[in-house]
Amino acid sequence: MFDQLAQIITNYVEVKKEDIKPESRFMEDLGFSSFDFMSMLGEVEDTFDVEIEEEKAAGIRTVQEAADYLEQLSN
Amino acid sequence: MNELSSTIRELLVKASEHYGAQDAVRYKAKREKNGGKKETVVEAKTYKELREDSERFSAALKNMGEQGSHIAIVGDSSYPWIVSYYGTVNSGSVAVPLDANLPAEDLCELIDRADVTVLMYDKAREAMAKMAGERCPKLKYRIAMEQVQAGETMLEGAISFEAFLKEQESGFSYSPKPEELATIMFTSGTTGKSKGVMLTHRNLAENATAQDMGFEPGMVLLSVLPIHHAYCLSMDILKGTSIGSVICINDSLLRVLKNIKLFEPNIILMVPLMIETFAKKLEETDWLPAPIIKAKVFGKQLHTICSGGAYLNPDYLKRFEKYGIAILQGYGMTECSPVISSNLPKDKKDGSIGKCMPNCEVKVVDEELWVRGTSVMQGYYKMPEETAETLVDGWLKTGDLGYVDEDGFLFLTGRKKNLIITPNGENVSPEELENKIGSARLVQEVLVREKDGVIEAEIFPDLEYASKKKIKDVGAEIQKIIDDYNEKAPLYKRVLSLKLRDTEFEKNTTKKIKRF
Repeated sequence: MFDQLAQIITNYVEVKKEDIKPESRFMEDLGFSSFDFMSMLGEVEDTFDVEIEEEKAAGIRTVQEAADYLEQLSN
Repeated sequence: MNELSSTIRELLVKASEHYGAQDAVRYKAKREKNGGKKETVVEAKTYKELREDSERFSAALKNMGEQGSHIAIVGDSSYPWIVSYYGTVNSGSVAVPLDANLPAEDLCELIDRADVTVLMYDKAREAMAKMAGERCPKLKYRIAMEQVQAGETMLEGAISFEAFLKEQESGFSYSPKPEELATIMFTSGTTGKSKGVMLTHRNLAENATAQDMGFEPGMVLLSVLPIHHAYCLSMDILKGTSIGSVICINDSLLRVLKNIKLFEPNIILMVPLMIETFAKKLEETDWLPAPIIKAKVFGKQLHTICSGGAYLNPDYLKRFEKYGIAILQGYGMTECSPVISSNLPKDKKDGSIGKCMPNCEVKVVDEELWVRGTSVMQGYYKMPEETAETLVDGWLKTGDLGYVDEDGFLFLTGRKKNLIITPNGENVSPEELENKIGSARLVQEVLVREKDGVIEAEIFPDLEYASKKKIKDVGAEIQKIIDDYNEKAPLYKRVLSLKLRDTEFEKNTTKKIKRF
């Protein structure tokens, strides 16, 4: 999950996959704008075949939190 | 076709007469398939249906004794939102569209301050509607804008949209006067307290119809911006209606790309933040021929992006031109209903924010742009001092610095007022954030500003307090204060950069922190 997510992240911001850590914060550390972040989650919905709630999405700050939420949706 | 209308009622009636059977609004809906599984389908309402539904809404307001009252509308873009808006203003009532992403406490404060008696809310805002019922003494009715699904319960004491409109006849006829107040829209104030901008029918209707942009009826428009914003409400909804566009509703910011493929729009209104993300998507596969990339990201039919709300680097105009997409940069503010100037497909200039709207005029006073005309607001609701500071003999002081060139094109050079304009067009008051963050005991002084496109807070901690409380890692504690603030704040108000200082800020003679 984390690995696939890290791959998608590299399509949106200029960061190497190996530099993405579970505790990396999307906006503060990885340089996502709020719209980059929303668009990336849209792509994530297709990749993992899940439906993300916008309100929940707004509460996600780190890559690990996103991976945990996706794990929860997939089960 | 472009025809001047001086009331919103006139605008909608003309549209229903000219384009009656054509789709006015398209939106996604979930329907149950055979076997119980749900599928997403696109549904549509015609111009005739939009007018009739809004007239039924007006009739319902009148029957419950609320014609002329203030009606708050809080929710994501939807067909019921649009019906509620037209139904409210065309009955002579005042619509108060609010930012659905604000915390519930803030929404309740605005509902109360705007003297709202009827609250329209969507499912995601149910907890807020409950709180409003307890905290807003003037509020009489709460109406859920969505249909209650089987197995779902509705908020106690609330009314469903269906029940509200049931047995109401269309054909409700009331002709609001151009000078009647139609809408109160809240905008960030420099004092930290948001201000209710009062706009009449003439303000909004003429702003939406005065400029002929040369667009044909039936043009497909995808509405992606928050609908409570003046830019979206005026340009997507009011102007879209007046020129017979098919207005497609984007159901979530998560799905803009998917919805572009689904609805195949010809035009989208965006803020610079979105244009920047799309530029990255276009350039992701830049080894492919431009028409193929364009079709992959935007579909073949998109020809225009209107940009407003914040500064857009002119570089993007050329980068999108390569894909056959024209970016038309405009400029406005809620106080001006909101469009002040816009580039047009056949009359544009790089780096400029376009020529002034035909119903307005611009002058430059001490480098500041002042605007006068039928789009200019009546004032701030119950704020006479702030109104007097902003309106001078009918001229609106924009707070923006700029000039007009010899061809009549406007250019911006900076800002006079202390307001952060984020790349998604939101106006953020630094004082509002400073008040919230500064209420933490460990924060002695705080200054909020924009830096490299994000909001930064610079903090001077109360070291005496830290020592008394034996706080060892002051930096980590301050970061926690910011994290707690961010958790409750909407995305655009979040502090993404933190700087600590070990000396007090320099002050001016009135003991206020020097900002610059």
